[in-house]
Amino acid sequence: MRLDKVWIVARKDMSEFKTNKYIVFSLVLMPLVMSFVLPIAYLVPITMLTGDNSNVPLDLHINITSRFEGLNVENVSVSNASFVKSNLTNVVAQSCIFENCTLTDVLARDSVLLNTTIDRSYVIRSNIEASPRTDSTLSGCVIIGETSRTVNMLKTFIDSLLMFFILVPVMIPTIIASYSFVGEKLNKSLEPLLATPTTDMELLAGKSLSIFIPSMAAAWISLVPFVVLVDLIAGPVLGYYPLPNIIWVVGSFILAPLFCLLSISTNVLVSSRVNDVRASQQIGSLIVLPLVVFFVITIAGLITLDLFYMSVFVMLIAIVDAAVVYLSLKVFRREEILIRWK
Amino acid sequence: MIETVELTKNFKEVTAVEDLTMTIKDGEVFGFIGPNGAGKTTTVRMLCCLISPSRGSAFVNGMDIAHPNDRIKIRGIIGLLPETPGLYESLSAQRNLDFFAQLYGLSSTVRDRRIKELLTTLDVWDRRNDPVAKFSKGMKQKIAIARALVHEPEILFLDEPTSGLDPQASLTVRNYLLDLKKEGRTIFLNTHNLDEAEKLCDKIGVIQRNLLALGSPEELSSKFWGKATVIEARSLTPEMVRAVESIPSVRRVDLAEGKLLVELDRPDLNNPLIVRTLVERGAEIEYVSELKHGLEDIYLKLIGGPR
Ligand SMILES: Nc1ncnc2c1ncn2[C@@H]1O[C@H](COP(=O)(O)OP(=O)(O)O)[C@@H](O)[C@H]1O
Ligand SMILES: [Mg+2]
Repeated sequence: MRLDKVWIVARKDMSEFKTNKYIVFSLVLMPLVMSFVLPIAYLVPITMLTGDNSNVPLDLHINITSRFEGLNVENVSVSNASFVKSNLTNVVAQSCIFENCTLTDVLARDSVLLNTTIDRSYVIRSNIEASPRTDSTLSGCVIIGETSRTVNMLKTFIDSLLMFFILVPVMIPTIIASYSFVGEKLNKSLEPLLATPTTDMELLAGKSLSIFIPSMAAAWISLVPFVVLVDLIAGPVLGYYPLPNIIWVVGSFILAPLFCLLSISTNVLVSSRVNDVRASQQIGSLIVLPLVVFFVITIAGLITLDLFYMSVFVMLIAIVDAAVVYLSLKVFRREEILIRWK
Repeated sequence: MIETVELTKNFKEVTAVEDLTMTIKDGEVFGFIGPNGAGKTTTVRMLCCLISPSRGSAFVNGMDIAHPNDRIKIRGIIGLLPETPGLYESLSAQRNLDFFAQLYGLSSTVRDRRIKELLTTLDVWDRRNDPVAKFSKGMKQKIAIARALVHEPEILFLDEPTSGLDPQASLTVRNYLLDLKKEGRTIFLNTHNLDEAEKLCDKIGVIQRNLLALGSPEELSSKFWGKATVIEARSLTPEMVRAVESIPSVRRVDLAEGKLLVELDRPDLNNPLIVRTLVERGAEIEYVSELKHGLEDIYLKLIGGPR
């Protein structure tokens, strides 16, 4: 295979794409959706749900005037008191400190709760640390030394946005290939090309490369504003910048190119059988199904998206890639194209 | 030079070309004529190494169309104008040609010179930067021919270059082909335009799946009709016909509409004798001419009359 010929073909195809408004439109729109709309539309609501989750304790200005230890307190209202190893039931507490206590049916406000069991209670604007909660509601509290469920969800969610990211290098080839292969077939411009001293593989590689380059370029360029936006939105909530992380590095630099190649080769197969640009796009877009399945499984919490599962997924897609590329090479032969491509 | 030996192509149950054996010499303009579906395109595709034959063999400038290494070399020395121009409509004429020139490995200076040469000759140099989509059918066909010529191929294959063009556009294309013929290029021309073939070709092959005839237009004419002399004269009588018939080298004589059609061998030697025989019997000779059968007669005789 002569790479100079591959590159000549790729360059010619790309200069054709530049004149196609549908291709240019999708090359601009898809990354925009990816890098701006997606993080704003999905992450902002979630961060609002988690509220202020910074781990900086609230400045409560508690003046303790009385201290109690080993007490059972019921049906009273207390303020500016410190309780150690006490049980409190049906109590309203204002500006108190609880350490190693049990609170049941308590309304606590502007307080500090440490190693305290909280049951059927309502805690407002307090610092809470190492305190298990059952049937209770917190409002405006800072939980120290523990990540909340919503924060965990936010982390999972950021990783699962990877699916939308990979959609870019999967969908763009579907659009470009439909014009590049079906269009060229309808225009009958393949025959003169086939009469040149190039090998079938050089032609296929050139045409594939011409799709791969703009698709991956669009994806990777969109990655920059995406990472910045996600960090800006989720950073304050998480207390650190979530991106880039290893899942995203593997996802965008290994999995995404593999999916892009899969999409291109699948579309070569589809193009050989279809005589309509739109039909080719519709069938070609079925390629997103395995991607959707994988990420639905992760969002549903059936598996955690970690390096192990990512590697398994990469390997699976690589195997499927090899098979589909092999098939597309078999389909993209002069004789096949001229005789059987209908 | 192109040589084919029993070249055959089957598409499943259809035999498109069968036992094609012929030779086309360097510098010859070969006209391949036959009705639609006769196997012309299939033959050209085999010779251009686009599809492989089912049986038989062929050599293009001594290279074997069945040999993988030769196939790519053959594609390097031939130029093909397919049935449909198949240009990249959104690209300029210049870019279309430049792309192909690059694939043939021409350097950028050679490419620029060659493209300028071709587009100037074809009278489209001024519009070299326009997208091909804006061109008329005739202009597109010219660009497509230029594309087939951009690398100075040794052999040019043209698959029905004027079909689908209006008379003016066909004329432009045909005149250009005449120029190419003068340059001494080997041209393989598929056509069902007999007039075109007659004007352009040194050699004709008539195909309908099998090769029905092969030779120069004159050779074909004399092969199918022998030599014949037409004599136009006043006061011809049946007696004169019988007298001419009795001349030994005359094979057949026909009298119709005041014209005597004499089929014979060696007209150069026998015509004076025939004329004398007629004059002696009182005929007043107006014209003596050689009977020529046009390609159309040959074609219709081989393929069958009007359908
Ligand atoms: N891809 C194909 N599959 C099946 N039959 C074909 C194919 N291409 C050509 N044929 C058949 O081969 C015959 C010759 O076709 P073709 O070479 O295109 O004729 P021509 O160029 O002389 O009009 C026709 O009967 C045609 O139907
Ligand atoms: Mg044809």
